[in-house]
Amino acid sequence: MKKVLGLSCIVTILFVLPTIQYVLAAGDEPGEYLDRRVEIWNLFFRLMTVAFVIGAVVSGTLIWLVWRFRESNPKAKPTKYEATGEW
Amino acid sequence: MSGHSTWPEWVYIGVVIALLVWVGAESWNIERLIDHAPADAQVIKVTGQQWFWTFEHSDGTKEIGELHLQKGTPYKFEITSKDVLHSFNIPDYVVLQDAVPGRINTVWFVPKDTGEFPLQCREYCGLIHYNMRGTLYVEDTA
Repeated sequence: MKKVLGLSCIVTILFVLPTIQYVLAAGDEPGEYLDRRVEIWNLFFRLMTVAFVIGAVVSGTLIWLVWRFRESNPKAKPTKYEATGEW
Repeated sequence: MSGHSTWPEWVYIGVVIALLVWVGAESWNIERLIDHAPADAQVIKVTGQQWFWTFEHSDGTKEIGELHLQKGTPYKFEITSKDVLHSFNIPDYVVLQDAVPGRINTVWFVPKDTGEFPLQCREYCGLIHYNMRGTLYVEDTA
């Protein structure tokens, strides 16, 4: 539980608080002149960058997992259930 | 407990939460920025009905099916509908807002380029929806 709390604190300090601060600090009423085309497309490209990076990491992890833990891998070890024949 | 180290899982959960928070905050921030019209924006009342658009400028001038605007001037559209759901759309300027009967929705933009641009309905609204189009004329300020 302590570890969870510690990690939550770290995440909060490193990511959540700066994000909230960044959001609340931006823009005041009334609005400024801006090009909505630029803003919207830039947001789209930023989010797509994140989406593709996450997609690459997740699919890379899955591919590694399947490759590493295949039965034919020389490093593969049977689980204790497989070793004793208890299914 | 589980009998194995769980710290990678907690790191994974932390990273996912951080990314979701960032995505949400970023989107919310941009939406907020583009929602706030400048104080000097000119109001144009936009009314959709089957199957054409009517525009009323702040001086009372009305246009049907076409809209004349000045380059570099901010405009705030107050959009409504007389009958069914429509959606006011200027694709070249990424302007898109629903026209709902009994409700006024707003969207604003600044035309940066002179020329003719299509405007259209983007919500299926009946038989001639496909032809509920118009033209935006952006002219140089005199």
